[in-house]
Amino acid sequence: MKERILVIAEHHKGHIVPTTYEAITFALELNSLARAKVLVMILGKSVNGMANMLAETTGLDVLGLEGDHLEFYNAEQYKHAIEHAIEDIDPLYICMTHTAMGLDLAPGLAVRLNASCITAVEGIKTNGDKLSFVRSMYGGKIQTEIIPELKKSIITLLPGAWKARERYPDKKGSVQIKDVHRGVSISRTFSVKESEEESLNLDDADVIVAAGRGIGTEENLHLVKDLAKIFNKSAIGASKAVCDLGWLGYKYQIGMTGRTVSPRLYIACGISGSSQHISGMKDSQTVVSINLDPNAAIFNVSNYCIVEDVTTFIPALLEEYKNFVET
Amino acid sequence: MRILVCVKQVIDGQAPVVIDETGTWVKHGNISPFRMNRYDEFALEEALRIKEKFNDVTIDAISFGPPRVSSTIRKAMEMGANEGIHILTDEDSFVTPFEVASAIASYAKTNTYEIILTGAMSEDDMNSQVGQLIAELLHRPCATLVMHQEIREGGKEIYVEREIEAGRRECLYLTLPAVLTVQSGINSPRYPSLSNALRARKAQILTIEAKALNIPEKRERLTGLSYPEVSSKGTFIEGTQKEKAKKLLGILHEKSLI
Repeated sequence: MKERILVIAEHHKGHIVPTTYEAITFALELNSLARAKVLVMILGKSVNGMANMLAETTGLDVLGLEGDHLEFYNAEQYKHAIEHAIEDIDPLYICMTHTAMGLDLAPGLAVRLNASCITAVEGIKTNGDKLSFVRSMYGGKIQTEIIPELKKSIITLLPGAWKARERYPDKKGSVQIKDVHRGVSISRTFSVKESEEESLNLDDADVIVAAGRGIGTEENLHLVKDLAKIFNKSAIGASKAVCDLGWLGYKYQIGMTGRTVSPRLYIACGISGSSQHISGMKDSQTVVSINLDPNAAIFNVSNYCIVEDVTTFIPALLEEYKNFVET
Repeated sequence: MRILVCVKQVIDGQAPVVIDETGTWVKHGNISPFRMNRYDEFALEEALRIKEKFNDVTIDAISFGPPRVSSTIRKAMEMGANEGIHILTDEDSFVTPFEVASAIASYAKTNTYEIILTGAMSEDDMNSQVGQLIAELLHRPCATLVMHQEIREGGKEIYVEREIEAGRRECLYLTLPAVLTVQSGINSPRYPSLSNALRARKAQILTIEAKALNIPEKRERLTGLSYPEVSSKGTFIEGTQKEKAKKLLGILHEKSLI
């Protein structure tokens, strides 16, 4: 029996992106359920160093695919390279993180490989002799279990749903590097632009007060800023909806395609709590959420839940704070 | 140049979502507030901006679903789409991205669209798959999470910037025809003009029965629906607004946060 589970590693500027290790944890869990061997694949212009590092750290076998055309991630080139490289491997599962790369690559690759495709997966369940994959819908209000119908499956994993392992087997996996040919160029990626906005110290903040659409208007942002001021080492953040409305810049965005934070205290103000947002803040030590909707998904990951309109509750809280400081 | 914009009707995010009695799908009330998926509004607005910039651009809006989705197709025409196409299904049920993409690709392959636009994901299912699947089924290049686009070389290719992590952008060229999935925040979707609204009210929507499109079998099966477990550690702070504020300050003080 030579069944395989393939993990596609992601890297940036010569470093493995941390969520790759989460995908490896998932693959190892899948391995114990599906009894297949985990193999890591990394694609790029020059991946020997990273491939060896991965094999050493994780004890897993690593296959590197190299080519000048793989300098930047490109869906067409990745699909072409993976399709040809796995002809002999024929993996049961291909796993990657649900990042800008993973979600771009997975569906098209699934069509090409005649595979089922399940995205933004948060859990695995055994269902008789089959495995089902858990994913959220409706902004986290409903969880679904999905079973792939085809022999091969491509799975993308919601960032933060699995933790990187602290320990791996004390051995080094094998490393194989192959040169791959360029595919048809109907798409070519030629550069990555860095963010124009200066980076914010969200990583260093002890307390993050984050604004969601529930703050109602741009003018109400001052409430969130005022609340942040009562804490030392605090910063403000925002849900994607608030950034999309232009109320705050994207550098404030927490969650998928934004930042992942884990402060001592996270106060979610009028944030409904989509799985995309939650994946970026759920490791905070203490979460306080204020939301008018008692069924808001954010309450599922909160330590303290307050069902109130943020636009009236924050002023009340600041008023009480004044009394509190005076006494 | 012809552009196809895929628009999905979703239930408003604030509305409650309930699992039906059989436990096999969610239940929508007759009064449920349905509207256009916001990501698709951004996609449609981007199409309208292309139309304003170039001559001879027509925009078709297509949607897959039960009879109710025709109101979203009409909304797309009110915003400025020229034609509306409805791939009609019988009822609300679990549909996989592959089925939707297969239906749209089946329609699009007999029509020459230089650009197909979708939202980067739907707010309800959150799969982020349909655009990429359509592209692969039609053998076209695709870029997801698009934050900027410019048609170049007299319409032979399109320059695209896609949003990746930490505010970075990948820059790429796609040979047209191509598929783009549009990230929210790329533009500010417009409100319908009065003249478009009047035109849309009278316009015919081309309706195609989904059954007629030979949609392949599901590649993923739904086996369970549940409400997420509320973590046991969560405490709802009760009382009047003032009491809640007091209690919260007490808790934060105990934790040495203030």
